Amino acid sequence: MEFLGASECNLGILETLSDDTIQEITESYDGFFTTVESIVAGTGDSSVEKEFASHVYSLCKHGLDSLVRDHFLRSLEQAFEKRGASSFWHHFDAYSDKNHPSYGEEIKEVLCKALEEISIEKQYHEKCLSVVVHALQSFKDQSPEARLNSDVERVQLFSRFRSMLSSTLMTTLPQHFPEILHWYFKEKLEELSAIMDEDDTQERESDCMDLDEKLRSKNGEMDVDEGFSRHDDLVKNIGKVVRDLRSIGFTSMAENAYASAIFLLLKAKVHELAGDDYRTSVLGSIKEWIQTVPLQFLNALLSYLGDSVSYGTTSSGLTSPLACCPTPSFSKVVTPSEGIVRWKLRLEYFAYETLQDLRIAKLFEIIVDYPESSSAIEDLKQCLEYTGQHSKLVESFISSLKYRLLTAGASTNDILHQYVSTIKALRAIDPAGVFLEAVGEPIRDYLRGRKDTIKCIVTMLTDGSGGNANGSGNPGDSLLEELMRDDESQENVGFDDDFHTDDKQAWINASRWEPDPVEADPLKGSLSQRKVDILGMLVDIIGSKEQLVNEYRVMLAEKLLNKIDYDIDTEIRTVELLKIHFGEASMQRCEIMLNDLIDSKRVNTNIKKASSQTGAELGENELSVDNLTSTILSTNFWPPIQDEPLELPGPIDKLLSDYANRYHEIKTPRKLLWKKNLGTVKLELQFEDRAMQFTVSPTHAAIIMQFQEKKSWTSIDLAAAIGIPIEALNRRVNFWISKGVLRESTGTVSNANVYTLVESITDSGKNESEELLAGDEESERSIASVEDQLRKEMTIYEKFIMGMLTNFGNMALERIHNTLKMFCVADPSYDKSLQQLQSFLSGLVSEEKLEFREGMYLLKK
Amino acid sequence: MSPWLRKTEWHAVASWTWDAQDETCGICRMPFDGCCPDCKLPGDDCPLIWGACNHSFHLHCILKWVNSQTSQAHCPMCRREWQFKE
Repeated sequence: MEFLGASECNLGILETLSDDTIQEITESYDGFFTTVESIVAGTGDSSVEKEFASHVYSLCKHGLDSLVRDHFLRSLEQAFEKRGASSFWHHFDAYSDKNHPSYGEEIKEVLCKALEEISIEKQYHEKCLSVVVHALQSFKDQSPEARLNSDVERVQLFSRFRSMLSSTLMTTLPQHFPEILHWYFKEKLEELSAIMDEDDTQERESDCMDLDEKLRSKNGEMDVDEGFSRHDDLVKNIGKVVRDLRSIGFTSMAENAYASAIFLLLKAKVHELAGDDYRTSVLGSIKEWIQTVPLQFLNALLSYLGDSVSYGTTSSGLTSPLACCPTPSFSKVVTPSEGIVRWKLRLEYFAYETLQDLRIAKLFEIIVDYPESSSAIEDLKQCLEYTGQHSKLVESFISSLKYRLLTAGASTNDILHQYVSTIKALRAIDPAGVFLEAVGEPIRDYLRGRKDTIKCIVTMLTDGSGGNANGSGNPGDSLLEELMRDDESQENVGFDDDFHTDDKQAWINASRWEPDPVEADPLKGSLSQRKVDILGMLVDIIGSKEQLVNEYRVMLAEKLLNKIDYDIDTEIRTVELLKIHFGEASMQRCEIMLNDLIDSKRVNTNIKKASSQTGAELGENELSVDNLTSTILSTNFWPPIQDEPLELPGPIDKLLSDYANRYHEIKTPRKLLWKKNLGTVKLELQFEDRAMQFTVSPTHAAIIMQFQEKKSWTSIDLAAAIGIPIEALNRRVNFWISKGVLRESTGTVSNANVYTLVESITDSGKNESEELLAGDEESERSIASVEDQLRKEMTIYEKFIMGMLTNFGNMALERIHNTLKMFCVADPSYDKSLQQLQSFLSGLVSEEKLEFREGMYLLKK
Repeated sequence: MSPWLRKTEWHAVASWTWDAQDETCGICRMPFDGCCPDCKLPGDDCPLIWGACNHSFHLHCILKWVNSQTSQAHCPMCRREWQFKE
């Protein structure tokens, strides 16, 4: 066809041709065809080659050299397609429908054999090609003008041949072949990795050997050598396969296959090393492993291939999407070391990314046991520095938070604990606090919706010594420690700094300034506002430090009122620490409360000293002043205290008034006002057959003391004697009944029970109830809680809010807040925070007075 | 004491107050049971003082007042000549 085409194109030449010439051409043409056939089929000998050369010569003479080349390549292609390619793929036919695990050992041999065969085939074809080249050469040698580009011609021909070859193979490529290759490399690499591991342990063992053992450790060295030689053999083996693959034009396929095998192995290794243990750092050992296994393998492989393959083709195979640095220029000269460096970077990046993904997925658990898991956090930090995928962390962690922590089932304490751990852990990863800001926001928002958040925070602050009921992790400890740690760092930032130190501090701050990281959200304010201070972030949840201080004051008051030994060292310490954080002024009242305790102790000793000097005679029924201690409050500075009337038994009353008189004597013109229902009484009861000790409230004590006069009381009489409402009495009496000290029976008068003292167990029908808990602890709170106070203060606004909602239909929280601020300026002016209003409104919602829908409040119909 | 009640240890709670007629200091308008604006701790650290006219003030407040008067000081409440009560 080429011939016809050529003749058509060169019609003019055709005219000039003589019959002889035509005759010559047809003869050579026929001869050329037959010789080509026999050469390609491999049946010709040297005489055929000679004949072939002469035909080529005559054809070329007539300018038909392109025909020679094309036809020859085409016949080569046909021959290759028939014999080479089909037989090559035939080797793998048996594996077409099998899955990875079932490839078995023999496939390795099959692959090697097939590659060997195809290489032989290819070599043979190359030989044939060189015959043509030679023939063409000999023609050109006689025509001097074409001599120069003869070498170019040769190269061109061979490259045409190669691309022909690989395209033939590619077009007939069975789908499962890449998989087979991949599997092959995977197996080989695992083998290699196993050998390296063995060597490693051997080395370690030889390290552990004693000196005298080392002297005769020739065996050990032998083993190591053996290991290395096995390793070398393996690499050579693989190298041969890769080279053969390259020679048939499968460079990039081979590259892909072993690269993916390496990455797969690396991934498996990372997973194996990292696992679920967060206590140890794994990054070092991963890097080490990269250095010992894949890099050594690649080093050996590349140096093995280095000479035989031109790098021009190799580099095109290196465009993996994971490549972190732009591939260096496609120059033909790439030293192996550079290739190795690039591989190293790729592998390390991949390892970092894998480990990072692994850790991010488990970040929640890691943070749960944070102080122990700090090495995992450290690993993650390094990974993130390398990969820069912080946003991944934020997203994944927020979603796991929402799924696992911010649910109704989680206790506020646990959430706070996790929040504190999160702050600490993320502070390690990112000291600027940019990501913490993003992660912390959902937690803060959620906590704001919980009613007991403030209480929990304050408990965490105060109950340093295991006050946590569920005992999990004891977050309080860490929070107190946190206070103390911050204490040191903030020491020089006192509150009454004079101008100069302020100036100096400002200068220091200014010189320390660093720009925000690029990931920072510009809407979230700058670094200075994002100072990572745990207490500050907790206060941020609550809304204002005043609320926190208020809640703390209530809790402190409760604690101090229940003290009987005046031991307030821990409280003093906590208040001192809080003072540093919140300023002296806001902790003023707490300080006065503590001071009251100290003063009370002093006054108490003074009064006792004075009374022992006077040596007053005690009546029979009188108690000595030694039995009485007291806490004297500066009421104005304490939270509102619930005052209930209570009539104390005579002797106690006398004791109290004596005490008050002495106080008046010592501290004129000050006097005492007893809060009789408050305090603590320790009683020891001794009956015929049992002795019991109790620590009870004064009301309880007053009740039981009434039974000294009379063995049985009706509830009405008893309530009158003690001066408390009958319901309150019944509640309190239950305590004594449960302890088996009193017995209840229905009295003659309706509605009035009779209580009788149980003097010996035999009298009582039931006293096994010893184990019963001390009744109504919750009603014993002597301090009005902050919610109660707030509730009382807010109720006056309820009418306003109702009116507003009647007029406007529905309103958002913010708008209600602003409207109240605008209109409630008269006495009492509206001074509540948004959070306080929110909690009040949610109270109204739960009372079914209001409805809350899509962020709007509206009246319940 | 009844034989079965062997031991009683009573820890009571009280509040102190100044034994004065007024609730607040006529000078600083702060409650007596609190303290004057210059003080931080109430009680012994910020005592009350009575004048001969039986009006009482924070000691610190009345001293400031007395010291600020060029001639004889008068009670800020009743304008009688100020004398500390013996």
